[in-house]
Amino acid sequence: MLDDHERRIDHIARELKREERVSSSFDVRVMRAVRDLPRHARLTLWSRLTTPRRITVTPLSWGLLAASLLVFAVAGTRAVLVEESTNPSKPITTALFAAPAKKQTPQAVQFVLVAPDAKKVAVVGDFNGWDPKHASYQAQHRGGGVWSVTASVPVGHHRYSFVVDDSLWVADPIAPRAVDNDFGVTNSTLVVQAAQE
Amino acid sequence: MEGSSDAVIVDRVLRGDVEAFRVLVERYRDRYARYALHMLGNREDAEEALQDAFTRAYRSLDRCEDPERFAAWLFRILVNRCRTLGARRGRRGRTFVVDDVALMAASVEHPSDRGAWREEIERALQQLRPEQREAFLLKYVEDLGYDEMSRLTGVGVSALKMRVMRACDRLRELLSEVHSA
Amino acid sequence: MNGAVHIARSAVVAVALITSTAFAQETSALASRLDKPTYVAVTAIVDSARAAKLPTKPLLDKALEGSARGFDGPTIVSAVQQQWVRMGAAKQGLGASTSPDEIRAGLAALEAGVSVRDLARIRAASGKRSVTMSLAVLADLIARSVPVPTATDLVLQLTRAGIRDGDLSTFQRNVRADIDRGADPTAAATTRARGVIRGAEPKSSGLE
Repeated sequence: MLDDHERRIDHIARELKREERVSSSFDVRVMRAVRDLPRHARLTLWSRLTTPRRITVTPLSWGLLAASLLVFAVAGTRAVLVEESTNPSKPITTALFAAPAKKQTPQAVQFVLVAPDAKKVAVVGDFNGWDPKHASYQAQHRGGGVWSVTASVPVGHHRYSFVVDDSLWVADPIAPRAVDNDFGVTNSTLVVQAAQE
Repeated sequence: MEGSSDAVIVDRVLRGDVEAFRVLVERYRDRYARYALHMLGNREDAEEALQDAFTRAYRSLDRCEDPERFAAWLFRILVNRCRTLGARRGRRGRTFVVDDVALMAASVEHPSDRGAWREEIERALQQLRPEQREAFLLKYVEDLGYDEMSRLTGVGVSALKMRVMRACDRLRELLSEVHSA
Repeated sequence: MNGAVHIARSAVVAVALITSTAFAQETSALASRLDKPTYVAVTAIVDSARAAKLPTKPLLDKALEGSARGFDGPTIVSAVQQQWVRMGAAKQGLGASTSPDEIRAGLAALEAGVSVRDLARIRAASGKRSVTMSLAVLADLIARSVPVPTATDLVLQLTRAGIRDGDLSTFQRNVRADIDRGADPTAAATTRARGVIRGAEPKSSGLE
């Protein structure tokens, strides 16, 4: 049993223990600062020989840009492909890439996230305007902390992420990373191929 | 990569994968923002100290002896950064700014109630001597044991206990008009 | 004759309406999620992209993502701008008749460190075939710590050997599985690529 003094302190501490969040641009600022520092050099022979250099571009003006594009912005980032997780009972994919004129219907893609403590999981990406409230992309809890949703994704190259409890953005753990320097975030990449006919 | 342990990520960074460091930033920035905020009293200073801590951690990552305990190592760097920043600010003269965002967030839950209480606490905290505030936060907000606090701060356990005790006394004094819930 | 012209004209109007409706839908989603100055700045960039015959969706997507993630106006505008710069570079490397998907994959490759020149080489090596998969696989290899020149070289070899997208996808999966099991990324990628290419070569005749 806490005595009165201890109870007071406990009350104070509880208030101070409330979660705090940094501002949304914090990660970007930190990574920008970190990238300016000398890269660590515990490298394999290959990396030592082939470390990519960073080039920055400053757009002159929007009008001139189209005419003068030669340089491009890059940093040691990773943009990556993942093959879509497939519903085992209905395999999707693999077809040879059809000629552009061919009609390509959206494909069903299953997204899975293991998040035992989540109350809500949504899929967001360039196929649904990055909208965490989009009705067709709300995952269902299947038990055991497994959340999934099978949704329609157009054929092509996409970026996506999971949003947990409307607040925490999580890249798909099994998908390769697509680091985005513009926002200093990490997304996942997905290439959906047309179904074989 | 996100599910990987700190040691795995540290190793990647040391091999030249700068971007992997982001995972560590994302993992710990909110957790340690809290300490910096209460220690320094305003969000701007807190984020400066936190950002500083991360860049220093990156810079001296190869000197992190136990990458599995990266979090504790990072926290020690942050505690030091807060001391330095706090001292610098102290020399400029005491300014205490109540964090508007925290206030707003606090007052949303219990309008008029919580906001005022939170403000009282923050104000009282800032009136503590820095070393007492530090000890109090480490003990009661970060829930560290005295041995761990001693390792973190370089101060002996009995001195720490004394600081915590004095902090509690002073806080109770300052906050005596406020009724406990 | 009049009827035909009328129909043709209606078709043109219809297409224009559809395109502008789709565009209007996208931009109205943007309008509801961005503040006015940001919206104005972003749509200006989008207009420039359209005038330069670049796809606009990657730009709109970037703005929508930024708003969904809670970034402020200037950050969003800057991101859209950077995306536009990269898109121009992707188009330059991949050629005038690049599809939007190829541009998107090209964006990923550029962000990973591939040069515009190498984009062009991959395009040249794939002839009439789409480069979306090749570029996506390339970006993936680099993300898995295969050095940029090595990864580029491997993908060029695969492309030149005429490896199909399905087999490229399998190649990527296998490399990932190998790396997850602890293989050195370069060794895994090189070994698997060799296997794929050899498998695709016509069997020589007349040998024992």
